[in-house]
Amino acid sequence: MAARAARRPRLAPAAPRRNTELGLLVMVVLITAGAYVLASLGQDANMPPNIGPFLLVLLALLLLANLVTRRVVPDADPMLLPLAGLLNGLGYVLITRLDERLAGKQSAWSAIGIGAFIVTLVVVKRARDLAAYRYLWMLAGLGLLVLPMLPAIGVERGGSRIWVKAGPIEFQPGEFAKVALALFFAGYLLDKRELLAMRTRRLGPVMIPDPKHFAPILLAWGASLLVMIRQRDLGSSLLFFTLFLVMLWVATERPSYLVIGTGLFAGGATFAYRAFDHVQKRVDIWRDPWQDPLGDSYQIVQAAFAMADGGIAGTGLGSSGRIDFPAKESDFIFAFLAQDLGLVGATAIIVAFALIVGAGLRIAVRSEHTFDKLLATGLTALVGFQAFIIVAGVTRLLPLTGITLPFVSYGGSSLVANYVIIALLLRISHEASQPVVRGGRATVVAERVPA
Amino acid sequence: MNRQIRRLGVAILVCYLALFLQLNRIQVLDAADLNNNPYNSRRAQREYNRPRGQILTSDGAVLARSEPFDGEFFTRRRVYPENQLFAHITGFFSFNYGLTGVERQYDEDLSGQSFSVQVNSLQDILIANRENVGNVTLTLRKDLQAAARDALGNQQGSVVLLDPRTGEILALWSWPSFDPNLLSSADRKEAQTAWALANLAEGKPLLAHAYRERYFPGSTFKLVTAGIGLQTGKVTRDNPVYDQRQSYLPPQTTKAIANFGGETCGGTLFQVLAVSCNSAFAEMGQSTIGAVDMVAGARSFGFEQDVPIDLPDAARSTFPGDLVDTPNPPKLAQASIGQNDVAATPLQIALVSAAVANHGRIMKPHVLREVRTSEGKVARTYTPEQWLAPLSEEHAATLHDAMLGVVENGTAFGLGIPGYEIGAKTGTAQLGNGLVHTWMTGFAGPPGDPQLAFAVVVLNQRVADDATGGKVAGPIARRVLQTALPLKR
Repeated sequence: MAARAARRPRLAPAAPRRNTELGLLVMVVLITAGAYVLASLGQDANMPPNIGPFLLVLLALLLLANLVTRRVVPDADPMLLPLAGLLNGLGYVLITRLDERLAGKQSAWSAIGIGAFIVTLVVVKRARDLAAYRYLWMLAGLGLLVLPMLPAIGVERGGSRIWVKAGPIEFQPGEFAKVALALFFAGYLLDKRELLAMRTRRLGPVMIPDPKHFAPILLAWGASLLVMIRQRDLGSSLLFFTLFLVMLWVATERPSYLVIGTGLFAGGATFAYRAFDHVQKRVDIWRDPWQDPLGDSYQIVQAAFAMADGGIAGTGLGSSGRIDFPAKESDFIFAFLAQDLGLVGATAIIVAFALIVGAGLRIAVRSEHTFDKLLATGLTALVGFQAFIIVAGVTRLLPLTGITLPFVSYGGSSLVANYVIIALLLRISHEASQPVVRGGRATVVAERVPA
Repeated sequence: MNRQIRRLGVAILVCYLALFLQLNRIQVLDAADLNNNPYNSRRAQREYNRPRGQILTSDGAVLARSEPFDGEFFTRRRVYPENQLFAHITGFFSFNYGLTGVERQYDEDLSGQSFSVQVNSLQDILIANRENVGNVTLTLRKDLQAAARDALGNQQGSVVLLDPRTGEILALWSWPSFDPNLLSSADRKEAQTAWALANLAEGKPLLAHAYRERYFPGSTFKLVTAGIGLQTGKVTRDNPVYDQRQSYLPPQTTKAIANFGGETCGGTLFQVLAVSCNSAFAEMGQSTIGAVDMVAGARSFGFEQDVPIDLPDAARSTFPGDLVDTPNPPKLAQASIGQNDVAATPLQIALVSAAVANHGRIMKPHVLREVRTSEGKVARTYTPEQWLAPLSEEHAATLHDAMLGVVENGTAFGLGIPGYEIGAKTGTAQLGNGLVHTWMTGFAGPPGDPQLAFAVVVLNQRVADDATGGKVAGPIARRVLQTALPLKR
């Protein structure tokens, strides 16, 4: 390890990766501004009056973010921030054309999101320091999940009780809970992964690890699932389950966890289908949306119409009709994206997520520290699978489970949480690019690179 | 752990690949099905919001245009500045009720699809505001259409005025009409109300009666019978000479066909046409000509055929073809004077006169003059074409002269306008309930140059008021001709 580290030179202080990032960010601003102008032209043949301020604010925010990354994480991956900015920008343009009233809020949330990104980078000096607070993360995660259940502040909307209202601000604590739980899983698995990888107990024909080590994580996962099923937030349940499974598997390197987990999922899903009307309804709509195209299946059918309308090349930004349906700017935004930009644009968005996943997992692979590895994997899996779950739902590849499309959908909590994820990934990326100091604090955490 | 992380990466990529395939299914493979799904109003809505060209008359009046609109669903609306006047020609452009008339017939030109060859969508992103629409200029004139409307007044009926040399329709009016603005309203509630009211209203205002409704043609059909007689050589100027009588009794019946007002009439073609002699024409069709030639002849004039007019859903005029296989002399005799199962659109009757005026040839009737691009360039022009040739030049000339006689000293006396040559034929179709449809059809123009053919029908006139084609429809035709004839054409 030392030999490898010695051969890796400290990157030049000029931080060429930040210059790359800056160039990409400028491109993002240009693309977003272009899309914004086109969408406005498509709607009423007028240049948007506020294009100047809009451009300046967007540019200023991203430049500020670049300045901060220059100072605190100069060697971090140059792709992640521009990709997040691109998705955020295109999402903003789409939201503006779908519902102008949301535009102001979304731009404010974007600013807050980038603010959270900066704060995270500044406050978190070293990602693996976060491992120390693992049980705090667990409590925070579970607490956030329970929050909407509280009578005074919880808000129910569209059958789901996942919002919290505090004064004028409404937010979805679940979006933050997922980050907290990823931190907890990474911290916990850092300690217990070897124990969990050992099979000490026999349960029938299979060997299982000591339940003593297994219990906390199972508890956290079970509790979160239960809460979310109570709140009818199926998308988050599925995402948490996936996160849990993926992190367990990567940490222990035991494929049996995947097998057992999938089995558990099948059992749980069957139970949920039998026990909950709303789950059953989702599956029925997925199987045959034409049973009730004007009622229960209205959204999914309209989404299919929108995407089909877009065809290969799209109808053009802002040129589509104004068909209204619930959650069009949040869960269903991908359908409108596919309508306006066509298969070409929709594929580009999927590729953008693939690039984020690629960058995130590359960071995980390059990290020398297990906690960093696990956290980077978990956070990347969160973004990657969240995008998959909602796009698969909208395109009827899977039953629809409402969840936001990271960076693109309308919604402050989602934006802020995802920008925090990007900040943490950049922090880990920067550290992975540093030479390892022997005998420094790095060795305090038990570190073992698997053979 | 790195192996697992890489596998995770592969797994997520596989998931995304599945998304890509699913997107291909929706946006490419199944796209056509989804776009045509009856629950899908998306395309219609976008079509509705697209820029759309104007419809204009040949004398420059705007009949339909699109203007920006800030509605709940729509960003444009279609406006018809002439309200009811051209409703049956332009039709309407309604989100709820679709397209009719010129809006439907020339939709591709109006929406700019016909000659821009579907600008592909990638370019549309760059040129988001597509203004390459076609403006459609019609052969109709606003002054003549208004003259037809004013002349008919609030009586139910139709006026057709066309150029027999080209088939250009100059006026095509029927009352009751409707206001297409209401049906094309961007306010869907308003459109629904207008639709419901129009469907309840008396006289079917939504129907373009002039070319989509059939009526008993009555004595105007005698032109067809006479034409067939001449063309088959069975009737000439001088032969046969029909007996002077009050009625004609066909074989196999006791029900005689009486002359109008119980008068006695007979004689040669010119004589019997001038006074519209029922007994003579019943005998001519039933006995002189016979079923086979009558059926084929009616067809040669356009009966039992689809009219190649450039407006949607034109009605076929009818003549009982079963007379060939199941001989029925009484029915044939009645059909020969435009009764029984004979029914014709006002347009068809005008085309019969047009054949006489245009040397025996019927040109395809049309309303399109030309399509121009937004920049004013002519994209295409309607080229007149012949549809039918029921008469030879010689026999057309004979019938032409016979029709002049009807105006000079026959039932259309009073239609004449000094300085012009006008030939005509009246019709008074008995409905059997004390009501008649009164007709007037003919041609007009400077001597030797019949430039206009026309048909006027006024519906449901009371026999008790002594209503006849000459008395009721004649003055209406004359008023329209007075406006039309002086125009330099």
